Amino acid sequence: MSRWSVEIFQVVFAVLVAPGLVGLIRWIKARLQSRLGAPVWQPYFELRKLFHKEAVVSTNASWLFRFAPYAVSASTLAIVFLVPVLVAPRGLDSVGDLFVVVYLLLLGTFWLALAGLDPGSAFGGMGSSREVTVAALAEPTTATAIFSLALGAGSTNLGAIVVATLNDPWTVLTPGHLLAFAALFIVAVAETGRLPVDNPSTHLELTMIHEAMILEYSGRYLALLEWAAWLKLFIFVSLLANLFFPWGIATTLTLSALSWAAIALLVKLLLLAIVIAVMETRVAKLRLFRVPELLTASFLLALLAITSSFLLR
Amino acid sequence: MSPLFSQLAVLGSSLTLIFALMLLWHRSVHAYTTAFMWQSVVLAAIAAVVAYFERETELYFVAAMFLLLKGWLIPRLLRRMEEPFGAEQELQPYVNTATSLLVCGLLVLFAYAVCRPVVALSRLPTRAGMPLALGLIFVSLFVIASRKKALTQVIGFLMLENGIALLAVLGTYGIPFVVEIGVFLDLLLGFMVMQLFIYRIRETFESIDVEQLGRLRH
Amino acid sequence: MIFLLLLFPPLLAAALAALVKPYRGWVGWITAALSFAPLGAALSICARVLEGEVLTSGAGEFLRADGLSALLALCIGFVAALAAWLGPGLAVDDGYDAAERRSYRVFSNLFAFTMLLAVTAHNVGVMWVAVEATTITSAMLIPLHITKASVEASWKYILIGSVGIALAFVGTVLAYFDFVNLAGEQPTALNWTSLLHSAPVLHDAVLKLAFVFILIGYGTKAGLAPMHTWLPDAHSESPSALSAMMSGVLLAVAIYAIVRWKIVVDAAVGPAFTNRLLIALSLLSLAIAAFSLIGQRNYKRMLAYSSIEHTGLTCLGLALGPLGIFAAMLHMVNHTVTKSMMFLLAGRVQQRYRSTEIAEATGLAGTMPVTAGFFAAGMFAIAGLPPFGLFISEFALVRAGFAAGRAWLMAAVLVLVVVAFTALVTHLNRMLYGTPPQSIFVGERERWALVPPALCLLILLILGLMLPEPFSRLLNKVVEIAAP
Repeated sequence: MSRWSVEIFQVVFAVLVAPGLVGLIRWIKARLQSRLGAPVWQPYFELRKLFHKEAVVSTNASWLFRFAPYAVSASTLAIVFLVPVLVAPRGLDSVGDLFVVVYLLLLGTFWLALAGLDPGSAFGGMGSSREVTVAALAEPTTATAIFSLALGAGSTNLGAIVVATLNDPWTVLTPGHLLAFAALFIVAVAETGRLPVDNPSTHLELTMIHEAMILEYSGRYLALLEWAAWLKLFIFVSLLANLFFPWGIATTLTLSALSWAAIALLVKLLLLAIVIAVMETRVAKLRLFRVPELLTASFLLALLAITSSFLLR
Repeated sequence: MSPLFSQLAVLGSSLTLIFALMLLWHRSVHAYTTAFMWQSVVLAAIAAVVAYFERETELYFVAAMFLLLKGWLIPRLLRRMEEPFGAEQELQPYVNTATSLLVCGLLVLFAYAVCRPVVALSRLPTRAGMPLALGLIFVSLFVIASRKKALTQVIGFLMLENGIALLAVLGTYGIPFVVEIGVFLDLLLGFMVMQLFIYRIRETFESIDVEQLGRLRH
Repeated sequence: MIFLLLLFPPLLAAALAALVKPYRGWVGWITAALSFAPLGAALSICARVLEGEVLTSGAGEFLRADGLSALLALCIGFVAALAAWLGPGLAVDDGYDAAERRSYRVFSNLFAFTMLLAVTAHNVGVMWVAVEATTITSAMLIPLHITKASVEASWKYILIGSVGIALAFVGTVLAYFDFVNLAGEQPTALNWTSLLHSAPVLHDAVLKLAFVFILIGYGTKAGLAPMHTWLPDAHSESPSALSAMMSGVLLAVAIYAIVRWKIVVDAAVGPAFTNRLLIALSLLSLAIAAFSLIGQRNYKRMLAYSSIEHTGLTCLGLALGPLGIFAAMLHMVNHTVTKSMMFLLAGRVQQRYRSTEIAEATGLAGTMPVTAGFFAAGMFAIAGLPPFGLFISEFALVRAGFAAGRAWLMAAVLVLVVVAFTALVTHLNRMLYGTPPQSIFVGERERWALVPPALCLLILLILGLMLPEPFSRLLNKVVEIAAP
C-alpha cells in the first residue's frame, strides 16, 4: 500500500473510531452501575442529530464564536497526523514532533477558552478560566512526561519513541517509563475532562469545566466541538497505549500488518476504556481547589520520570 | 539475567518512593496505613528478589521479617488506631499539598546529586535504586517535619526506616544478621512506645495535633 | 566474665523490678545494691586496660573494651549507681506512687544496660542498636508523672531522637556499603577494628557522606545545635534522677559514638574534614546555649542548656588534635560528675519548693543550707571557676586551641564561656538569696541523700587540684586511640 493512502486511512480510522470509544466507556460505566446504558454507537446518533439541527447563536457573539469550532476541530485533526495510531514511524514525523503535538493541543484549548468567553455568559467565562488553569498545569506535564521517554529513545519524534520501545521491550519496566505513564494518565484524565477532574455527564454549574465552555453552542457547532473532544480522548488513549505498550503496531506497510495493528489497537482501547470506566465509577469528583494539587502530583511524577531516565541512561 | 534483576530492583525502589509521596496527597489515616503496608510489601519483594538473584539465603529471612513485621503486624496495630484517631485528618499541614509535592521533587533530585559518588563506586546491579532509597529517606523526613498529626509523623518515621532498610538491601545486600535482628527489635519497641505516647497525648491534650505541644519554650 | 558482671546486673535488676508487682521497698534496695556491680566491673576493666590489655569477649569478639570504652563504662557505672540510690523508690516520701517507682526501677536499669552495651559493643551496628534502645528506655521514664509538659517533652524526645538516630544508621549503612564494595561480605565487617583496619583504602567521598549523616544522627543525641531542641524539654521535665543520667552520661555515650566514627573517618580522609564539621557544630551549640542561658526562668532548663554548652566544648576539643582530645575527655568526665550531681540537687530543690521556676525557688541559702552550698559550688564548677575540675579541662582545651593555631576561634569560645558564666552566676544569686516563699519547711531532710553529692564534689576537687596518675594514664590511652 502506498504511504499516503495509509496516512489517510489512519486519520479516517481515528476520526471514525473516536465516538465509538466514548460510547464504549459510557456503556461500560452504565453496566458497572447496574444500568442498561445506551448502545455503544449512541455518540454517532448524537452527531447525526446535531448536524441536522439548526445552530442558534447568541446576538452578543462575534465571529470568534463561529470560528472556534472549526479551529478546535482542525487543530485536533492535525494532531492525528502526527501521532502513531496504527503505523510507526509516521510519514509526517519530519513535520512535527511531540512539541508540535503539545502546542496543537494548547491551540485547541486557547480557541475553546476564547469561545467560552465570547458570548458573555456567566458560565462560559467560569469554564474558560478553569480550563486555562488546568491547561497551564497539565501541558508542561505532558511535555515533560513524553520528553522523559524521548530521552530514552534519543528522539522527540513520537514514532521513533514507539520504535525504540519495540526494539528494547525491557525499557517498559524502567521507572522512567512507569512514572511517565502515571503522569500522562493523570494528565489525560484532566485534559479530556474526565472524572475526577471534570464530570462529562453532568451540567452542575459549580464544578463543570468543559461543559461550561460549550454551553452556548448548538447544532453543527456543538457537533464539531463534541467530535473534537472525543477525538482528543482517542488521541490520549492511543498515545498511552502505543507509547507504553507498543506491541502490535505496524512497522511495515503491508495490508496484513495494518489489519493486525487495527485489531491490536482496538483491543488496547477496549482495555483502557475498561480502566477509565472502572476508575470513573470508583472515584468521586475532586473539589475544584484540589485539582491543582492533583496536577502538581502528576508534574512531580513526570519530573521524577525525567530525572531517572536522564540519570539512568 | 542482570538487566531483569536491576530493572526489578529499580522498579521496586520507585514504587516505594511513590507510596511515600502518597502521604503528601492523602489525608486520612486509613490511606496512610495502606500506603505504608504496600510499601513494606514491595520492600519485602525487593529483598526476596535480591535473595533470589544473588543466592543470599539470609535475605529470605529478612524479607520474611519485613513482610511479617512491617507488612502485617505494624499495619494491623495502625488499623486499630484508625478507630480512635481516624477522625483527625491532616487537613492543614504546615506546608500545603502542592508545595509539599514540589519540595519533595527537589528533595529527590538532591538525593540523586548526593548519591553520585556512591553510585559511581558500585558495581552492583542494584545500584541504580540507591538514590531512590535516599530520596525516600528525605521525603519521609519532610513528612515528619511538615505534618501536624502525631500519627502522621509516626508513619513518616516508619517510612524512614523502610528507606534505610531499602538502602541496606540495595547497597550491601543486607547488613549482618545480628544487627538486623537488633534493628527489627528497636523498630518494633520504638513503634510501640510511640503508639503509647500517642494515646497519652490524646488523653492529656484531647487531640493528637502536635501544634498544641508548644508549652515548653526557650 | 568481667563483661558479664558489667552488663548482667542491670538486666537482673530490671527483671526483678518487672516481676515483683506491686512494687516493694526491698526491690529498690536490691536494685540499688546491684548498681555497684557494674561500677566495680568498670573499675576492674579500667585497671586491666591500664596494664595494656584490650578486653574482648563473645563470638566474633562481640564485646570489646579499650581505654575509651573503659572510661565511658566507668562514667556510666558511676552515674547509674547515683541514680539508683537517689532515684524514686528508696526514700519514704519522694512523691511517687508504687507503679511509678516500679516503672522507674525497670526502665532506669534497662537504660543503664543499653548505655553500657553501646560503649562495649565491638560492632558499630550493635552500638547503633544500643543507642537507639537508650532512646526508647529513657523516653518511657520522662512522663513518670503524666502532665501536659512531660507528655510534650517525651513526644519531642522520642520523635527527634529516633529520627536523628535513624540518620546515624544511614551513615553506618553507607560506610558498610563502601566496605562490602571493596572487601566483600564478612560477618565481622562492621566490627570497629575491621573498619579501622581497612579505613585507608575506603573511599573519601562515601565516607565523608557517611560521616555527615553520622554526625547529624549521634549529634542529635549528644545535644549539638541545631538538633538540640529536644534536650532542654526532656531534661527539665523528666524525674531528676533520669535527668542526671541523661545529662551526665547519655550525651557522653553519643559523643563516644561520634569519636569512634571520627577515628575511622580520620584514618581514611585525614582529620581536617571531621574537625571542620565538629568545630562548626560545637561553636553553634556554644553560642545558642550561652545566649539561651541569659533569659532562663527555669533552673532545670538552665542546667540543660549548660549541658549543651559543655557538649559543645567537648566536641570542640575533639577537633583540636591530641591535646584537645585529652582536654575533651577530661572535660567529659568532669561534666558527667558535675551535671549528675547538679540534677540530683535540683531534684531536692524541686521536691521542697514544688516548682522549677527560678523566681519561685528563692532563699535557698536559708531553707536548705547544705544543699544550697553544694548547689552553689556545682554552679561555680559548671561556670568554669577554679578549683574544680571543669576549670582545668576548659583551660587545657583553650590552650590546645591556641597550640593548634586557632586563636580567633578560641577568642570566640572565651567570649561565649564568659557570657554563660555571667548568666549562670546571676541566676544562682537569685536562687540563693531573697525571701523564700511562706510556709516552706526550713532545714535539711534526709541528710543521708547528701552524701553522694558530697562525694561528687570531692571527686571534682580532686580532678581540679591534682590529676590522679592512673586517671591521666587512662586519658592518655584514649588519646592514643583517638589520635594515633
